[in-house]
Amino acid sequence: MKIEDRLSLLNYKIDKSYAHITVKPDICEVCPDHFCTFACPAKCYTLMEGKLNFKYEDCVECGTCIVACSHGSVDWNNSKGAHGVKYKYG
Amino acid sequence: MTLEIVVLIKVVPDGKEVFVDPVNFTLNRSMATNVLNPADENALEAALRIKDEHDARITVMTMAPPFAEPFLLECLSRGADQAVLLSDRAVAGSDTYPTSLTVAAGIKHLGNVDIVFAGEKTSDSSTGHVGPGVAEFLEAELASYSRSCKYEDGYVIAERELEEGVEVVKIPTPAVVTVVTDSNIPRRATLRKKLDAQQKGIIVWSLQEIGVEADWVGLRNSPTVVKKMLPFPTRERKNKVIGVDNLDDFVKELAEVGVLKTGGN
Amino acid sequence: MSEFDAIVVGGGPAGTSAAMRLAANKLNVLLVEKADPPGSKNVSGGVLWGNSLAGVMPDWEKTAPLERYVKSKGVGFLTKDSSIDINFRSSKFSETKTGYTVLRTKLDQFLNKKAKDAGATVVTGVTVDKLAFEGKKVIGVEQDGDIITSDAVILAEGANPRVAIDSGIRPPLKDQDVAIGVKEVIKLPEKTINERFNLREKEGFAGEYVLGFLEGGVEAGGFLYTNKDSISLGVVVSMKHLRENNQTHSYDIIEQFKEHPSIAPLLDEGKVDEYSAHMVQEGGLESIPKLYGNGYMITGDAAGFSFSNGLVLQGMNYAIASGIAAADTLVEAKSGSGISEQAFSKYEEKLLNSFVLRDMHTFKGIEELTWGSLIHQKMPSILEKVMLGVLMEDGEPKKHMSQIVKEALKESGLKSSKLLLEGYKMYRRM
Repeated sequence: MKIEDRLSLLNYKIDKSYAHITVKPDICEVCPDHFCTFACPAKCYTLMEGKLNFKYEDCVECGTCIVACSHGSVDWNNSKGAHGVKYKYG
Repeated sequence: MTLEIVVLIKVVPDGKEVFVDPVNFTLNRSMATNVLNPADENALEAALRIKDEHDARITVMTMAPPFAEPFLLECLSRGADQAVLLSDRAVAGSDTYPTSLTVAAGIKHLGNVDIVFAGEKTSDSSTGHVGPGVAEFLEAELASYSRSCKYEDGYVIAERELEEGVEVVKIPTPAVVTVVTDSNIPRRATLRKKLDAQQKGIIVWSLQEIGVEADWVGLRNSPTVVKKMLPFPTRERKNKVIGVDNLDDFVKELAEVGVLKTGGN
Repeated sequence: MSEFDAIVVGGGPAGTSAAMRLAANKLNVLLVEKADPPGSKNVSGGVLWGNSLAGVMPDWEKTAPLERYVKSKGVGFLTKDSSIDINFRSSKFSETKTGYTVLRTKLDQFLNKKAKDAGATVVTGVTVDKLAFEGKKVIGVEQDGDIITSDAVILAEGANPRVAIDSGIRPPLKDQDVAIGVKEVIKLPEKTINERFNLREKEGFAGEYVLGFLEGGVEAGGFLYTNKDSISLGVVVSMKHLRENNQTHSYDIIEQFKEHPSIAPLLDEGKVDEYSAHMVQEGGLESIPKLYGNGYMITGDAAGFSFSNGLVLQGMNYAIASGIAAADTLVEAKSGSGISEQAFSKYEEKLLNSFVLRDMHTFKGIEELTWGSLIHQKMPSILEKVMLGVLMEDGEPKKHMSQIVKEALKESGLKSSKLLLEGYKMYRRM
């Protein structure tokens, strides 16, 4: 089962006014490993033509990327106002 | 003079957790949690934006069983001033006609109201009846499908989102405004306001208190009859990206993957 | 004068247990949970081991939303083609329940309701930003610019403790502290589950697996737990090893586990109903931060309390026990000498005297052993060769077991002296 199909099973309340994770593009541009693209279980970090692309909308708020990124690019905050992923089983 | 504003809300099952039963086409809500109807969040925000500019008092109101109380508290913690729950066993099964009647009676019971906000529709039944219905029972002006609005000296000026464009209307109060989903970004409640809301509590009115007879409402007094549920036809995604060099080839390809039908007229 | 005696940050098992215990002692407690409904952002493998919940809810086994009790426990070593399983079933597990499978959104909603019923003020759907300080003393929490005051704050925010880290009371997490847990809930009829796992009503299976077959040599553990009418299946991969590997996507590993020839038939006709993931604490004793200070205590996953021996990963019972211990410490401080760092040092004492820190001391250092190539890569293949050697009839002359073991070891490149040494270390630490 493709990860996109698995993520499509999830219910998100997208926060249009606040991104709980931000990355610093200047750091990602020179990143030697892009380990985030392997570590993130929600495929929020992808490489497009060698450039890192990040989207917070599919994030399941697992916290992996803040540890995975050893270059200080990831700024991770809790989602606000019950926005973000909403599991039915958990 | 303080503007009296009412915001109508409804608690609905989270639309993303409701599934159509593949066998008898009924809605399976067993896994769904309750949420505030999405358009009502925008209606509340529209009211709060008027309150940001004017001396106003916002009453949030719903007709529902007591399970709606936490959602009224949520509205209070976003900035509403008081919350009214119209709760009575007799209204069970009411369709949009007795609902509009009851809600209008609740609003009248509050006293003179200048503006009533409601979501354009609810996500669980999508009729869009109750806002306009309430306007009829209140004999108030109506601005439906508003994407933004303001108040000026006894008038509501609303931008209505229509299929053919945007219409700006200016209507005198008392006015009912129904608000389009996603037309604004609702503000968040804070912990402080959530605590205050719990202190404030909720006003509960029965039918008797608002002067509505039990035999005007409920399933038996609802004109709507659901005859049949049918599935909405869905098409499987083809996951194909087609480049357009030549329009004829493009149309041919669309026909091949089944997006366009060929033949006939 | 503070607004609350205590503010508990986080409505999972640790926070709700603390809140229930504080409210039962007539303390004015505020429980703040960022998700709404509670539990809807939480992920757990899915077995609540032990009986810690009885500390706040003596009748929890009758009232809590539990899926099945663990009747059958499995440990499996999986290679590309084979599985070597140890299955343990005991009627003793029916008399004294050792664990229950749970689904967190149901369980946590129930626990939050219980905290509210006990008298706690429960607020959901709002996220605490930071602790509020006066000098070095914690005086409450900060949220959106407001300060809500309390005599003490109990942090129970889970495996990604943002409030503790952002308030500077615990260091950021490092590779060796965490693993990545990825899980799917797969729907299957109750009857089918009973048949496939040899279970009766309410009986459940909990299996843990060493996945010695993953592409690219990734080392991961797998789990499979039966719920009433679904299966919770997942993998846990250590951050350190995934980084060293740096070619496998965390979300692909679970699919390899599902497709394994001994797992796939268990899932036939099943429909994936949810995908989830969360960071997992598994750093052992080394990862535990300072547990208390002036006006605060840290509990549960936020404090790194988990138990891992490479085959099982437990957290919820540690969370509950630590939440209760923190609540008791606060109750005693309030009625005794008052709140101070000294008074809260009793919290650590309580944990040292309970299974929470005792287990972690007993199994100190095991995480380095369990995430080693011995158990993940070599052990399953050695076992496979031995089993094939003993059990497969291929028309060749039979060999003595000792010969088979010798050959399997030789092929694995492992010296028997090294195996003995590692085995002894493992034995000592387990």
